[in-house]
Amino acid sequence: MNGLAYLWVRWIWSPYMRATARWPSTRSVVPFLPLIAVWWGVAQAELFPRTFFPGPAEVVSSFFTLVYKGILPEYLADSVTRLAVGAAAGIAIGIPLGLLVGLNRRAHDALWPVLLFFQAIGDIAWLPILLIWFGFGLTTMTLIIVYTVLFPIVLNTVLGVRAIPLDMHRAAKSLGASPLAIIREVVLPGALPNIVTGLRNGLGYGWRALIAAEIIVGTSGIGFLMFDARRAGSVVEIMLGMIVLGVLWFIVDAWVLAPIERATGQRWGMVQRQ
Amino acid sequence: MRKLSAAVRFTLPLLTLVVLWMLVVYAFDVNPRVFPGVAAVGHAATEAMLDGTLAAHVAASIWRVLVGTVLALFVAIPMGVLMGVSPAVSSFLSPILRFFSVLAGIAWIPIATLWFGYGFGAIVFVIFNAVFFVVTYNTLLGVASIPMSLRHAAASLGASPWRMLTEVLLPGALPNIVTGVRTGLGFAWRGLIAAEMIATNVGLGYMLFVARDFYRTEVIVFGMIVIGMIWLLIDRLLLAPLERATIHRWGMVRAA
Repeated sequence: MNGLAYLWVRWIWSPYMRATARWPSTRSVVPFLPLIAVWWGVAQAELFPRTFFPGPAEVVSSFFTLVYKGILPEYLADSVTRLAVGAAAGIAIGIPLGLLVGLNRRAHDALWPVLLFFQAIGDIAWLPILLIWFGFGLTTMTLIIVYTVLFPIVLNTVLGVRAIPLDMHRAAKSLGASPLAIIREVVLPGALPNIVTGLRNGLGYGWRALIAAEIIVGTSGIGFLMFDARRAGSVVEIMLGMIVLGVLWFIVDAWVLAPIERATGQRWGMVQRQ
Repeated sequence: MRKLSAAVRFTLPLLTLVVLWMLVVYAFDVNPRVFPGVAAVGHAATEAMLDGTLAAHVAASIWRVLVGTVLALFVAIPMGVLMGVSPAVSSFLSPILRFFSVLAGIAWIPIATLWFGYGFGAIVFVIFNAVFFVVTYNTLLGVASIPMSLRHAAASLGASPWRMLTEVLLPGALPNIVTGVRTGLGFAWRGLIAAEMIATNVGLGYMLFVARDFYRTEVIVFGMIVIGMIWLLIDRLLLAPLERATIHRWGMVRAA
């Protein structure tokens, strides 16, 4: 038992620790290797029928087939474009609305309950009526995503704006700042960390809404790919779709959200030090 | 009295919205197949309540969420604690858990319906893993974020593993666990509505989607209001107070 533990530490654990210390990016890849090995083992042992539970090799080969046919890149581009357009529109409407509701007492009294209520209805519940209004198409999907991304951003912006101490407003005002300057120099930087949190939540929800909308509306996109595969009974392509979704989110998270979060965290730190 | 005026202030904008809705439908003579009037929705509401269909749909939806969530919590919390105890194990596993919590919920609908067939099993599975991965990940983070010195202190005072679990690890991780449950249920609720549109013949999502086939917008709008109300009740009356209570508890633990 002790010998086994020694071998484990000597040959597996310490090389892993050393490798991750030298190349930190391996830390998010290596843990998946044993998982894939187990997956391969279970599929190979045929505990479940092969068509119900295919192995990694089949998924990889279907990846190449779909890339070669051009289906996967096209669907992927569709999904990402929809998410990007929805997110951009959500930000463009959400931040100004959040500032208004956060800064103006009357606007807050009038709009806050309405915002809470519409946020609770949830994106996907809008699908049926949007389908009646706009039919099966791009407009429906884009509206769903805008709706989903919008609310977390608005609600978090309001929270962020209202968390700024009143003294900051007063200090800026007594130094002769115009209302616009206060918004630009006090309110926006102060609320930025919250806005980014809202953006992260919104994208997380928007992402799921997109998949659901693509499954139900079904014209193109990764969600459609998965549901089309389900109709054909092809588990391989469903699994491929799920993996693509997961990897895509990792990329969005690492290349878009994390840098923004770091940047605003530092900015926030600066604001506090002044 | 203050509570009353706060309640009035909260409901007043919503009432204004309803009045506005009435006026717009009346003034522009909106086609009921595009958007229903208030009276039509009220009519649909009383009809659905009287013939018992609403109760059946709501009961089916809530039952699914309950079964899926309870199962998930029973597996997720012990697993999260076990994995979080060792810092090395938790840092090794967190990318995997993050990967799966990204997929949690809706992305599993196609494969769940293939594995379990359309119906109860598939939907409970979707809810189960919407809650499971998020809660496991948050529990793990919660346990991992307990300062090592606290654990050392308890151990050096002679705490048995069981007391370590019940008096240090679980209370310390509780705020994270509750946050995880809140997020997970948010995903599960949306996943439920989506899954019911696709894979069943009873439930709130199904009610909306069938109404769409017959252009019965008043049923759709009524269903949306019900969905919003139920979530608002769950979130405000159950989850938010729970979160506040655990944060107080956490404050106590820290101060002690």
